[in-house]
Amino acid sequence: MADPRRLLIVDDNEDILSTFYEFFNSMGYEVKTAVDGFAALKLLKDKANFFDCLITDLVMPNISGVGLISIVKKEFPHLKIIAMTGFGDQPGALASEANADVVLFKPIDLFDIEHTVSDLINPKNDNP
Amino acid sequence: MSTPLIGVSKSILKIKELISHVANTCLNVLITGETGVGKEVVAQSLYAESVRSSKNFVKINCAALPETLLESELYGFEKGAFTGAHKKRQGKFQTADKGVLFLDEIGDMPLSLQSKMLHVLQSGEFSPLGSDQDYKTDVWVIAATNHNLEDSMAKKMFREDLFYRLNIIKIDIPPLRERKEDIPSLIEYYIRLYRSEYPENHGSKPEPDILEKLCQYTWPGNVRQLQNCIKKQMVLNSWEKILDDLPREHPDLSPQIQINGQSRESYSLENHEFANNRPSIISEFVDLSTSSEKLFEDISLKKIKKMASDRVEKEVIGFVLDKVGWNRSRAAKILKISYKTLLYKMSEFEVSPPVK
Repeated sequence: MADPRRLLIVDDNEDILSTFYEFFNSMGYEVKTAVDGFAALKLLKDKANFFDCLITDLVMPNISGVGLISIVKKEFPHLKIIAMTGFGDQPGALASEANADVVLFKPIDLFDIEHTVSDLINPKNDNP
Repeated sequence: MSTPLIGVSKSILKIKELISHVANTCLNVLITGETGVGKEVVAQSLYAESVRSSKNFVKINCAALPETLLESELYGFEKGAFTGAHKKRQGKFQTADKGVLFLDEIGDMPLSLQSKMLHVLQSGEFSPLGSDQDYKTDVWVIAATNHNLEDSMAKKMFREDLFYRLNIIKIDIPPLRERKEDIPSLIEYYIRLYRSEYPENHGSKPEPDILEKLCQYTWPGNVRQLQNCIKKQMVLNSWEKILDDLPREHPDLSPQIQINGQSRESYSLENHEFANNRPSIISEFVDLSTSSEKLFEDISLKKIKKMASDRVEKEVIGFVLDKVGWNRSRAAKILKISYKTLLYKMSEFEVSPPVK
């Protein structure tokens, strides 16, 4: 069997973080979490090619989700990014501008996110 | 000349680390914190560590200028754009091109200018007053405010879209009273600075007991207030006088510890009192401004108990010694501890008789 897919999930709400962690873990993903953009950036710099997909909230202290997306798209262009926002379309629009691959609006169904992740990191032509 | 970011507290170290990670991204930064905490120092550090450090650092205070003047300062104007515009003038957006534009007190920018600012940030284009030409500009915008912009947005005083565009990187500088461990290094830095600037002045460094009082003070004006005190010390050379002149209570006037047991009830932790004082008391022992992950690591009941009891013991010992004219054996009897224990505690807490 192939290596498990590796996800980095970033949210300053620790309840959401642990829910996502449990869910994706149970779906067979290897999951790391970070509580803000700065913590996430340090993890990414530490393990440059480790992750396949980044799922990030947008409104967070220090480095916001939008900031994180801009930096990641420049430094780790291969990494797929899903942005999640619960604050109307303001930060959501900025996330698209920063080239997030997908922007989702909360509340989000976990199975829907999993589909999105799977579509992003396993393009259809890979699984005939 | 720019001031370095001085401090050894966790929050300052974290800010330094954050600066080194984001200085080269040139993403918009919003710096928040009370007046005098050093927002401009942080902006200068970002600039100094960035690839733009060889270009201009242009500062404008959005609260200091009336609306129309602020607009012409930011964007410039053409000759004849308004009465008195005798010749064309460059705006800050042009002067700061390829460099940094530091928008101080952004929370005080009038709403009408906020929308124009948003447009420039979105498009990278602006036009000077009276001009029909659009200019391209490449500025790194660093904004600062002591307002809570979330509150301002709720009151419709600050545009939400502008807020999110500025708040890509947020650096919050805690007030000095929440990072007292930075006070000694700040004092050291400013004394050295003023001695080199004014070699003829001979203000002395604070003795340990004075330093302790300076560290206990709440510094409502933050680093700037501390800096002014040190400037004053270089001229007056009397820390006692400077402590006396500090506004509000200074440590000597803080609630006296009653040891005769008669007013004990004022110290009992009644439930409502405990609830009201909770955050302020806790913040005296741990830094509450860090993430909860970090905070939980720092909160050790054993450590806090020790810090709290040390502080009370120190005050009580000083109080009793003062009352008995620094007669140590009498003080030991009153405190119901051995003479040896008293001496040990005095040296541990650095309690020494006032120097006359």
